[in-house]
Amino acid sequence: MNASELWAEFKAYPWDSLWQELLPARYRTDSAQILPSASIAWNALTVVIAIMSFLACLTVGTVYMLNQSAAAWVNDVVSEVTVELDPVDTPDIEKKMTLVALFLAKQKGITHVRPLTVQDSADLLEPWLGRSDVIEALPIPRLIAVEIDRTNPPDLPLIAKSLEDNFDGVTLDDHRRWQSEIRGVTRTAAMGGLFILGLVAAATIAVIVSATRSAMVSNREVIEVLHFVGANQGFIAGEFERHFLGLGLRASLVGALSAALVFLLLPLLMHLVGGGLVAAAETRRLFGTGELGIAGYLFFVLVVVVIAGLCMITSRIGVIKVLRDYD
Amino acid sequence: MIRFENVGLRYGSGPEVLRDICFQVHPGSFHFLTGPSGAGKTSLLRLIFMALRPSRGLIYIGGQNTAELDLAGRAELRRRIGIVFQDFRLLDHLTTWENVALPLRVLGMRETDYREDVTELLRWVGLGDRINAYPEVLSGGEKQRAAIARAVIGKPELILADEPTGNVDPVMGDRLLRLFIELNRVGTSIVIATHDYALMEQLPAPRLMLHSGQLEVH
Repeated sequence: MNASELWAEFKAYPWDSLWQELLPARYRTDSAQILPSASIAWNALTVVIAIMSFLACLTVGTVYMLNQSAAAWVNDVVSEVTVELDPVDTPDIEKKMTLVALFLAKQKGITHVRPLTVQDSADLLEPWLGRSDVIEALPIPRLIAVEIDRTNPPDLPLIAKSLEDNFDGVTLDDHRRWQSEIRGVTRTAAMGGLFILGLVAAATIAVIVSATRSAMVSNREVIEVLHFVGANQGFIAGEFERHFLGLGLRASLVGALSAALVFLLLPLLMHLVGGGLVAAAETRRLFGTGELGIAGYLFFVLVVVVIAGLCMITSRIGVIKVLRDYD
Repeated sequence: MIRFENVGLRYGSGPEVLRDICFQVHPGSFHFLTGPSGAGKTSLLRLIFMALRPSRGLIYIGGQNTAELDLAGRAELRRRIGIVFQDFRLLDHLTTWENVALPLRVLGMRETDYREDVTELLRWVGLGDRINAYPEVLSGGEKQRAAIARAVIGKPELILADEPTGNVDPVMGDRLLRLFIELNRVGTSIVIATHDYALMEQLPAPRLMLHSGQLEVH
């Protein structure tokens, strides 16, 4: 068999039937649709569901990104502490820096000590205070970055007390306050995200309930005929459910893809509209590099599944309720 | 198969359109339901088919009190009944074949299992060349035959037909009557509502005569 014959056989194979066979009976579309598609305001509904899905994906993506950035920041912060030297009333600050650094290097659980130069401090403050030569003239605190062994951490309260006892104007910042604040911000963002998702879910349910009722009114004759030929409410609900599942899948996919496009373009957008150095630094702090990552996009798949499921279940419940009311 | 006990029917707060209806249709029997226009034939058929609830009295279908049936129970019972409406009730967005196959689809059967049966029945009622036509292009007689085919395709225990020969020529009318007679021979109970006396003359079946909302059996 040559390639063209193989291709012809491939094309002639009833792939559609094969796919249909994989579906439960009520979801097979190998027969004509009992509910006419044109009888339901699918287009308007598709747009609304797509927007809901877009908003849900944006929310999920943003919360996920904030969470990732915060986790990365906390991770950095817990493996490092900072020792701060007050330059006021210290005639030879460089000598004091060396002594403190030597003292720290001797402590257990400290893997690396890095005194920051005036230039390093100036670079850190440059986005906020401008040119470094101005900063160098200011009595800015000097910093020593201390990396700690996370598997065998030092006794930080003891080191802090020793520093205070042995050196004037030297303090240790273990960043706990910052960690707590970051966790607080992340938690607030997650709660806000959940609240928005709840609103999106409620709006989706309300829209589907309304659309189901209007679809049932416009298909009243079809429903009557189905009753006459012995269809039970499960069969009738299944017909609506199949339509709404298809609509939910298509619309939420459109919304999710649109949101994915936004996140794909986010690094570029951050670069284009980043503004000044401060704004860019703040944006990076909040969103990291602006890349969502595979796990983030997997949440979009979850959003699509949940919205499609919501459409299906809501329409089913709606149809059964209305049928009972008719009765 | 059907038992009515002192059944009355009124629409809203209007007068009773059916009064003190009592009759029985035994399994495998053939009945004509007749009477002048407006006598209540269609209402009576709708009561049998559970599309209406009686204002009073009891209706038993297949031994079951219809007042005691829930939605699922009524659906189950309707599957044992085939009905032909005067206004056909075909779905305009489905082809003739799909309309006729609808009761089998509702039963959950696979299309491959009934494809030939539906096609054969459509050929038998003279719609072999109209299989893929939509109802809007069918004549009144063709719609009538499609509606009859839909009612009988599921081999129901009871067939209710409202003026089934009203829109067909005498030859096709005879042919459809023969179809009902054949179905009756294999045990299906038949109730045909008609005021076509020529049709009733062809078969010595009991006549349920409706007049001014009351029923007499002849």
